[in-house]
Amino acid sequence: MADAPGPNQLFEQWRKQLEEGAQAWARLVTPPAPAAPPDPTAFWRPVLDQGVQTWAKLFAQTPATPELVTQWKQFLDQWIEAWSKVLGQTMGTEQFAKMMGQSLDQFLVAQGPLKRAADQQVESALQALNLPSRSQVTAVAKQIVELEERIERLEETITAALRRLGDKGPR
Amino acid sequence: MGQERFADVVERFTGEGAGEPSPETVKRWQEELERGFRRLQNFHGLLTNPVEPRTGQTPRVEVYKRNKSRLYRYESSRRHRTPVLFVPNLGISRPYIFDLLPGGSFVEHMTRQGFDFYMLDWGVFGPEDNDLTVEDCVTKILPRMARRVLETSGTDELSVLGYCMGAPISASFVATHPEIPVKNFVNMAGPIDFTKVGLFGLWLGKEYFNVDRFVDTLGSVPADLVKAGFKLLKPTMDLSTNLNLWWNLWNDKYVEGFQALSKWANEYVAFPGEFFRHWVRDFYQDNRLHRGELVMGGRPVKLERITCPIFVVGAKEDYIAPPACVQALIDAVGSSDKQYVELPGGHISLIAGRGAAVHCWPKVSGWLGARS
Repeated sequence: MADAPGPNQLFEQWRKQLEEGAQAWARLVTPPAPAAPPDPTAFWRPVLDQGVQTWAKLFAQTPATPELVTQWKQFLDQWIEAWSKVLGQTMGTEQFAKMMGQSLDQFLVAQGPLKRAADQQVESALQALNLPSRSQVTAVAKQIVELEERIERLEETITAALRRLGDKGPR
Repeated sequence: MGQERFADVVERFTGEGAGEPSPETVKRWQEELERGFRRLQNFHGLLTNPVEPRTGQTPRVEVYKRNKSRLYRYESSRRHRTPVLFVPNLGISRPYIFDLLPGGSFVEHMTRQGFDFYMLDWGVFGPEDNDLTVEDCVTKILPRMARRVLETSGTDELSVLGYCMGAPISASFVATHPEIPVKNFVNMAGPIDFTKVGLFGLWLGKEYFNVDRFVDTLGSVPADLVKAGFKLLKPTMDLSTNLNLWWNLWNDKYVEGFQALSKWANEYVAFPGEFFRHWVRDFYQDNRLHRGELVMGGRPVKLERITCPIFVVGAKEDYIAPPACVQALIDAVGSSDKQYVELPGGHISLIAGRGAAVHCWPKVSGWLGARS
């Protein structure tokens, strides 16, 4: 028991493993890309094995108290944090931004005609049922917004004029 | 090796070598079991009888409305003479995060400190508002809100407090409306220099994101797309949130707070199309606010024209508005009384939650109180 590694030491070990993992992931996604696609399983296997061994050691060498549950939670927190760092580094690359931009463009190219066609269909259907369409309702709402704006401006003008009159009034 | 060790453990727990656990260990296991039981009870309650959290409980009155936007005034002892106009983000989320629950509310803190506190709620915009621009917000909505604050409070000066996107918008307003007497300006986690804005800055860059095609195709930015964008920014967020929920599920107070926060965090709000176009092009892509190249209502937006006292608050772990892009306001303004503080927390936890109550709120109210 005397030479059992303390929880801090173990966490330090896990942290180191996870950080090294994060750096390796960042290297994998940074250009130039390797000829062969990266194999995440192969990369993470040693890390996972080490994690399991570390946990086995901990269970074997420390008393079975509820602190183990706390330590497990801390381990999971660090694990998630490490993944968050890895993903953050990946998403912070030009390649990821480019890929996302291209995906969005493809979505918009597909979505544009689809949306127009769907809108037209709905408009025709509502017209056939003698019901106001979405665009007609939107147009009415827009007019109300504009009317409200005009009334507001009118109120402001009247208030300003009254204030000027008040300023010029008898003292 | 791992298998051998686990076998040892099983042996130690169950075999003769296990020995008698100490009374302390037994007591702690009992506590842990009780927690486990309460976790199950609360989990069952969450699934079968979800309670609608009562958010936004600080008493308030609506003092002005224009289209979807509302101006609320909160009850307070009004110990400080200068009222505060709080300008949050437009779109993305609802502003009740600032008045989430009693005891965990920024609004409640400010009113308890004696500020005559006003909050602008931009509202939830529909397709009829797709023509609304940032310029409309700066030159039409904000001046009216500020005048209404002055009228209803009966004072001749006000402080403006901008949070997130509300900060650059209100900074543009303060810089272009010298006729409105702004006594103090506070920027909380509001990006100013968009070259330092992090992942969103990269993703929304001109090279990768065609904002015109986006707005022309979709008309507006639907709430689901806003949600997707923010979820992508921190993909592990839901995982850690749920892990923390499980861990704290025994704690009724935590569960109550979680339900309120979860309600807010899943209620995304769409952006009006033209607003989004203007926001992305002029702010994210061209950084025109920081470069002094914006013109609104025929007036150039020059941040150096802001000369009132300035307080800027950045959050250390803010990945939406990283501290460097927030701090940039300090060098851009013409004020002589200016201060920057960087506090622990992220974009939301800077202003909401237990950490905010300790680190952020007292700093903001203390700085404003001395100048109000």
